[in-house]
Amino acid sequence: MVDVREDILARLLEVVAAIPNIRSAYRNNTEIAENQLPAVIVFDGDEETSDTQNRPSNSPIIVQMTPEIIIAEQSDEVGSDLTTLRRELIKLVLFDTELNNLIAQSSPRGNGAIRYLGCQTDLGWMRSLHGALRAQFMFKYTLRPEQL
Amino acid sequence: MIDYSADLYDPIYAELGVPATMTAGATVANLIVLDKTRRKTVASGASRVQPHSNGAEVSSVGPGVNVRVYELAALGITAANWDGALLTFNGRSWIVRKGDVLGSPNGEDFGEVWLLLKEAAVG
Repeated sequence: MVDVREDILARLLEVVAAIPNIRSAYRNNTEIAENQLPAVIVFDGDEETSDTQNRPSNSPIIVQMTPEIIIAEQSDEVGSDLTTLRRELIKLVLFDTELNNLIAQSSPRGNGAIRYLGCQTDLGWMRSLHGALRAQFMFKYTLRPEQL
Repeated sequence: MIDYSADLYDPIYAELGVPATMTAGATVANLIVLDKTRRKTVASGASRVQPHSNGAEVSSVGPGVNVRVYELAALGITAANWDGALLTFNGRSWIVRKGDVLGSPNGEDFGEVWLLLKEAAVG
């Protein structure tokens, strides 16, 4: 059994947990307390396919998965902190050997990819200034139904 | 006309108020505050790409106090100098980051101000 989606998401959690100065890393955790900050959360991504050709139902198809990663922090310098954490996040994800190997192995013809799509920020006051950054990545890989 | 100061605020502050020290510039004042620090949550990273995803809810506290405006005025503290003041009460020190005047039927000068605070340790 090979489930590229799950392999990517599991590895993604390991990668983001390695961001310097991150205190806690979670997958799909929607409730965070301040003592867990700075925290990073991987949210399982939506998947889309664009395969509309008339082919057998079990044919391999190209999938684009867009997991989202939230980094939450609380400090008076939260803007600079988030910028630093974002920089490390992008570098770690795009250059991670294991993630790139997962994509390459699923799509040996070279049509797989990892892309950073962008980010948005949210700010608010609590004990000090709170900020969150949500970053999107796109993982393009080949889904092979016979391997599931 | 009801005297809200004498009939409402003063009895409440006498019962629930705690002593505090405010340092605003060269002014150091002892006053009574109502500790309004409560749990606060912020929705963090609600997705604009995947609208069904609300992101994470981060919980902390929103520190704040209510103070009688007329008590502050008697101590020489007004809206002109409470921003950035150091406020110590219930064993913790905070910085006033802004004050919201809450008003009163007798006029805002006889009402309360809600001082919103931030952790003094981080600036």
